[in-house]
Amino acid sequence: MQGAPPLIEAVGLAKHFGGIFAVDHLDFAVFEGELVGLIGPNGSGKTTTINLLSGNLGIDAGLVRVRGQVVNGLPASGFAGVGIGRTFQITQLFGRMSVLENMLVPGLARPHAVKRAVVREARQHLEFLGLASLESLAAKNLSGGQQKLLELGRALMLRPAILFLDEPFAGVNPYLRDQIIGFVKVLHEAGRTFVIVDHDLDAIQRLVRRLVVMSRGKKIADGSLATVRENRDVIKAYSGT
Amino acid sequence: MRAFDWALLLLLAAFAAVFPFLVDAYWLHVMIVAMMFAIMAASWALLAGYAGQFSFGHMGFVAVGGYTAGILATAAGVPLPLGMLAGVVASALAGVLIGWTCLRMSGPYLAIFTMAFSEVLRITVVTEVEVTGGAGGMTVPQLFHAATDFPYYYLILALLIVSVGGMMLVVASRWGLFFRAIRENEQAAAAAGVKVTRFRIIAFALTSSIAGLAGAFYAPYIGILTPDVASQDQMGLVVAMAIVGGMESLPGAVAGAIAVEFMVEALRSYGEWRLVLFGALLLVTMRFARNGLITPAWLRFRGFASPRAAQLAKEGVR
Repeated sequence: MQGAPPLIEAVGLAKHFGGIFAVDHLDFAVFEGELVGLIGPNGSGKTTTINLLSGNLGIDAGLVRVRGQVVNGLPASGFAGVGIGRTFQITQLFGRMSVLENMLVPGLARPHAVKRAVVREARQHLEFLGLASLESLAAKNLSGGQQKLLELGRALMLRPAILFLDEPFAGVNPYLRDQIIGFVKVLHEAGRTFVIVDHDLDAIQRLVRRLVVMSRGKKIADGSLATVRENRDVIKAYSGT
Repeated sequence: MRAFDWALLLLLAAFAAVFPFLVDAYWLHVMIVAMMFAIMAASWALLAGYAGQFSFGHMGFVAVGGYTAGILATAAGVPLPLGMLAGVVASALAGVLIGWTCLRMSGPYLAIFTMAFSEVLRITVVTEVEVTGGAGGMTVPQLFHAATDFPYYYLILALLIVSVGGMMLVVASRWGLFFRAIRENEQAAAAAGVKVTRFRIIAFALTSSIAGLAGAFYAPYIGILTPDVASQDQMGLVVAMAIVGGMESLPGAVAGAIAVEFMVEALRSYGEWRLVLFGALLLVTMRFARNGLITPAWLRFRGFASPRAAQLAKEGVR
């Protein structure tokens, strides 16, 4: 696997707001089929990293490569077009559109998409996520948990090469958290690549084998759960001492 | 569409076909103007209601269409139909330019920007007396030389059917879905692969060209074109028509335009008070009926025959 270029790679990635670096010359690569956890204290730059790697924010310095191709400067839709899917920290749906329509948007945005096939695919995903019976409901009328699942389903409709999940376990009840973990496991076993940002370390540990830890915009650790757990910089970043 | 819809459509078509024979010249004129406003209101509804681009510059595009047709016909000697076509193209180009310029704007910023565009255009028309006739207006040759307004009636009816039909096809297509996705959440739409920049510009270009079409018809029909066509009074009237009809429904906006125009004329004896009445009606509509008065009434009426459609409307699916 390591012989092929990374699925996505950031080289010297930087973003500053005023005089403060939110992401400070970060090097980061994810390979096909990986399931990576991206953690760090509040304000460490995790969400900014996802925003940079999905085109939602402009890059101040560095490179982003997808399968070896530089994609700097593409709009968010361009990143989606090269296979970068994402969910948001605060769920972002098309509130007054139906659940099915929410799913159809990314499906029909794919080049040469045929509506009938896209509808069938959307219904399969909704079935998988347990939302099939709600397909004609306006998305704004779903519960918070159902909205998170719909956002995951919508991202899947892009047929993404890699999926960034930004705090998928934030504010969800334990049952739904287990449900989301189960969905991610199934999708990963089917070959899907994930990067998951969350503060719920218990959930993260149940899912990932590789952890990347950020603090103050920099990567301070990258490795297996065991090595990261013993890393002094990580302990310092979390304990503040 | 169900048999009920087809029957209603046929009835409407038959009524529209014989309408000129049922009324006198005055009410025929009112209907022609109403259908012209219906094109403007429906195209604004597509831009603001579906695509979420709340523009106050729509009458500016009407003026671009009208003045391009008028100037080409009078000053350059271009045949009027060709001038009208050029007016539509010029409006579309102006729409692309404005849409591109205000890509990063939304809400009040977009509203103020487009209002400023319309005002700048209006003042330019007032100032350029030699080309546009200034505040006194510009005389535009007639398109038809008939004893009655029948030809104008059937032409505007055809333009209304084609333009609104075309817009309804757009709304039902993936473009319509993308417009609504952008309206709901631009960031999420982009993350879902929708080319937001492209579709915002398409929305402006499409609706501007249709507004320009109404302007290009207006010029030869009325025979005189004044800068008032781009005034905020006229813009307010178009917005009111779309809001009363339902700005997230193209047939609703058409119905709203026809209803408001006929009411304005029917209540003419009340002078300026009728405008106060419409202002109050608009306030009540915006406060209590987000999707207008006509669209919900129509959905409720249809709900007797189709509980499913009524349920979707109730659940807020737009």
